[in-house]
Amino acid sequence: MDGWWGCYNTVLIAVKQQKKSRIDDPEEVSVWFRKCSSCQEKFVQNQRFTETLVKMPGADKETDLSERIESFLSELKRCGSGAGSLRGSAETARETTALLRRITAQARWGNAGDLMEIIRKEGRRMTAAQPSETTVGNMVRRVLKIIREEYARSRGSTEEADQQESLHKLLTSGGSSEDNFRQHFAHLKANVIEAINELLTELEGTTDNISMQALEHIHSNEVIMTIGRSRTVEAFLKDAARKRKFHVMVAECAPFCQGHEMATSLSKEDIETTVIPDAAIFAVMSRVNKVIIGTQTVLANGGLRAVNGTHTLALAAKHHSTPLIVCAPMFKLSPQFPNEEDTFHKFVSPHEVLPFTEGEILSKVNAHGPVFDYVPPELITLFISNIGGNAPSYIYRLMSELYHPEDHEL
Amino acid sequence: MAGKAGKPNRPRKADKDEEEQPLLQAVLVADSFNRRFFPITKDQPRALLPLANVSMIDYTLEFLTSTGVQETFVFCCWMASKIKEHLRKSKWCRPTSPNVVHVITSDLYRSLGDVLRDVDAKALVRSDFLLVYGDVVSNIDISQALQEHKQRRNMDKNVSVMTMIFKESPPGHKTRCEDDDIIIAMDGKSKRILHYQRAQALKRLHFPMNIFHSGSDEFEIRFDLLDCHISICSPQVAELFTDNFDYQTKNDFVRGLLVNEEILGNQIHMHVTKDGYGARVSNLLMYDTVSSDTIRRWVYPITPEANFADQEGQSCTHSRHNVYRETGVSLGHGSQMEENVLIGRNTMIGANCTISNTVIGANCVIGDNVTLDRAYIWNRVHIADDVKVKQSVICDNVEVKHGVVLNEQCVLAYNVVVGPDITLPEGTVLSMHHPDEEDDEDDDEFLSDDNDVGYRKDKTKQKGSLFNPAEVGSEGKGYRWKTSSLEDTEEDDRAQFTLSNITWISQVYSNCSFPSVFQNEVHGTLQRGLDENISCDNLVLEINSLKYAYNISLKEVMQILIRVVLEFPFHQQGAQISTAQYSSHLLPVSMTLLKKWAPVFKNYVKRPQDQLDCLASMEEVFLERETHWAALVKVLMSMYQLEILEEEGIMHWFNQGSTTDKSQQLRRNQGLLKFIQWLQEAEESSEGDE
Repeated sequence: MDGWWGCYNTVLIAVKQQKKSRIDDPEEVSVWFRKCSSCQEKFVQNQRFTETLVKMPGADKETDLSERIESFLSELKRCGSGAGSLRGSAETARETTALLRRITAQARWGNAGDLMEIIRKEGRRMTAAQPSETTVGNMVRRVLKIIREEYARSRGSTEEADQQESLHKLLTSGGSSEDNFRQHFAHLKANVIEAINELLTELEGTTDNISMQALEHIHSNEVIMTIGRSRTVEAFLKDAARKRKFHVMVAECAPFCQGHEMATSLSKEDIETTVIPDAAIFAVMSRVNKVIIGTQTVLANGGLRAVNGTHTLALAAKHHSTPLIVCAPMFKLSPQFPNEEDTFHKFVSPHEVLPFTEGEILSKVNAHGPVFDYVPPELITLFISNIGGNAPSYIYRLMSELYHPEDHEL
Repeated sequence: MAGKAGKPNRPRKADKDEEEQPLLQAVLVADSFNRRFFPITKDQPRALLPLANVSMIDYTLEFLTSTGVQETFVFCCWMASKIKEHLRKSKWCRPTSPNVVHVITSDLYRSLGDVLRDVDAKALVRSDFLLVYGDVVSNIDISQALQEHKQRRNMDKNVSVMTMIFKESPPGHKTRCEDDDIIIAMDGKSKRILHYQRAQALKRLHFPMNIFHSGSDEFEIRFDLLDCHISICSPQVAELFTDNFDYQTKNDFVRGLLVNEEILGNQIHMHVTKDGYGARVSNLLMYDTVSSDTIRRWVYPITPEANFADQEGQSCTHSRHNVYRETGVSLGHGSQMEENVLIGRNTMIGANCTISNTVIGANCVIGDNVTLDRAYIWNRVHIADDVKVKQSVICDNVEVKHGVVLNEQCVLAYNVVVGPDITLPEGTVLSMHHPDEEDDEDDDEFLSDDNDVGYRKDKTKQKGSLFNPAEVGSEGKGYRWKTSSLEDTEEDDRAQFTLSNITWISQVYSNCSFPSVFQNEVHGTLQRGLDENISCDNLVLEINSLKYAYNISLKEVMQILIRVVLEFPFHQQGAQISTAQYSSHLLPVSMTLLKKWAPVFKNYVKRPQDQLDCLASMEEVFLERETHWAALVKVLMSMYQLEILEEEGIMHWFNQGSTTDKSQQLRRNQGLLKFIQWLQEAEESSEGDE
């Protein structure tokens, strides 16, 4: 019986009084809960949530869950008919995590190993649905890590040691991976869900956390350049604009021209904004004090997979020794390396490059609509994430903190 | 936990939305009702033919699902069991599918019309629905069109019954095929279709003038549209098909609706989309272009590597120059996949091959030194060494032996064996089915196919299992079909063919026999008018309605009317009466008749031109009956007195150069000359009076 959670102490007392090792009967549990008045309220609240899950007939529960997963998958497949995704990746991250929480709550599993297997399986499907959307895979890895931690804590092993893995331990940890997570813990589900909730709260606040640091980086009368539209950068600049006056150059980012939207949005906040064509990036760079960009993914080597044209921008910035700052929340950190070519790129319909209405010429040429650029780490000055600023060379460290090495391959 | 409590409510909320917004339904017609894909479709229905290694129907269903369709009715006829089986295995029939697919089969569907009549009979649709064929490949976002359609329906009470979706693509675009070229006249503002015509390489086009009188001041006549064969229909569409049992195709429907627009008051609108992709695989040329468009990612996000059909083991990778590889592909040393290539799983390719713009299915074996360009190779095909294939379709289980060259637009249907060392000329079609077989089995081909497979095999043997080695090579198996399906434009929809026959007949009919029928009718009407003493107003009304019924011009009406009146006595008395008898009969009769029907004539004889026409036809009648020329004067006189004819008109007619001897003779007639003289005098005297 692992469908209940709440004041665990109450149950412990009950176990002691009854001289049993554990209580399996849910009726009995609720009787003991009612004796603890402080637990009463929380228990009722939790029960309301579990009622829908637990009391739902088994088959119903399963179909409900798989329906949700299917709809999420098809949404993922469809998202991004234009450039990047229709929704922000922050939202994708939140939705993925919420779905994983639901899987944890609703799926049938007996121990951490089973749960991890289920989540891995679904995670594989989700990442396969839209390989370019790395956020999904990242969130799956985060949840797997949470399960590992919770399991370790339940076993009573030192979670602290786990977290501060040394480089040496990273090297040696390969084969000696616990005891396959087969041990059963009654309260594991509750703890995992609690931890996932914490992760969700963290996700909610990422953009705010990043934009809070804006004033440290943007000073008065500076000229900032950015490219395309990134929601994080948008919030970052808007936050700085509350206190400081500065000028923003937006490279339009053809052929999708998200830069136009960005410029409109910024100028609405009374930020002095200029839109420039991508070809003018180098020419304008000499006047620019700082380049601030967003990214789609931060790769394991500290490089970026960002919107088309970013590489040009980064090279121009390097040439003029202009600092290049990347605003990237932690959930964009992916253990992927740029040489994994198959899923690295994304090509959309060539419509924007060469309109379908062009007629005869279409049968004579090949048009491609690439979406991403790879930016090598040596062109990047600083990453600003929700936990502070980091150099590209430090990314590997963050990576090992966020994900368990065994989860890099789902 | 607070966030969690809110979550379970989500589906319930969705339910509520559904109540407000009725769920979107679609009718998918998984049959083409034509033979453009013959002989391939003898073994497999068109909807199941693979396009970039995925059945066409899956593309259509994916399109429907992504536009938010929640319930789809798939109608099949030809090889229905195969389609059913395919759908049962596909992801569309999983319980988690957001789009509920119902398969409805019947052997009796012979056209789109039959399907929609069945939709109406079974009352399947509750609100607006999408109508598509099972071979439509599209990623168009139709939500805007849907909204416009709904708005129009709300605004003026269900006048608009259908919104057709078109894709802008100028003439000469490779995704257009000349067969399906259309010309549309539309109202620029309301997007209403005023005229719809299939161009079919016509050099001259006619637009009825009345379409430009509809009150709008902005018209567009467009030839740059590609019909995506996606239409948003209201439930009336199905009803209209039931009401008009002669509608077979969508073409009939659209044209019928536009012609009868004034009467029925139904309108058709259109939606032109610039982005998005939509095309129907209507023939093999379109198959070629749509396949290559899919490989070139025009239909993104429906791309080969997306594995949208969610089949096991179908996952493939996409790399540079649009090269797609499924799992287990092996490529020999020195082989090159140049560009736009898709290779199915477990396919083995030998050494030194050059492959470009090609789709290869699963489990194929391809030898060394093979050149493939624009080849569409389906599953389990064996191609030996030194083969060259250009723009051809090779179906399942075909064996191409050593040294074969396939030129452009060849089709090798299922299980054919070709070779070795033979060059097939352009446009060769080979099939295991004998071409003559088709006629014999024409009747039962729509019945379940499975039970006469054995029978068919026997027959094939009887007919002589001797394959012509000149056609298929010394070890080859297969019969040559005469027409190339790729260029086969004549063999059109069967339904259409019969329809065009009908229209042709009706044209002939209208050319020769309608006026005489009309004359009889007018005679009958006048006779009845005389017998029953019907007022002239009613007679005019009756004649007018006859005019519309037989589609007769005003001029002809008048001529016939004159003829009928003048011949009235003959009809009453028999043709052999003398002049005296005629005039004596006609005179009292005609005085009464003409007097009586004066308003009728006045109704039709208004302008000077009408008078001339009237006189000309009068002349014509009398020319036929020389003996009665004397009576002409009297008729003219009475017409003049009744103010039907004016003196100017008569003079003009008289002075007009007569063309034949006879009419000159007529003009030299004594009585007529006197009458003219009298007229001239009367004119002079009237002038003198002034």
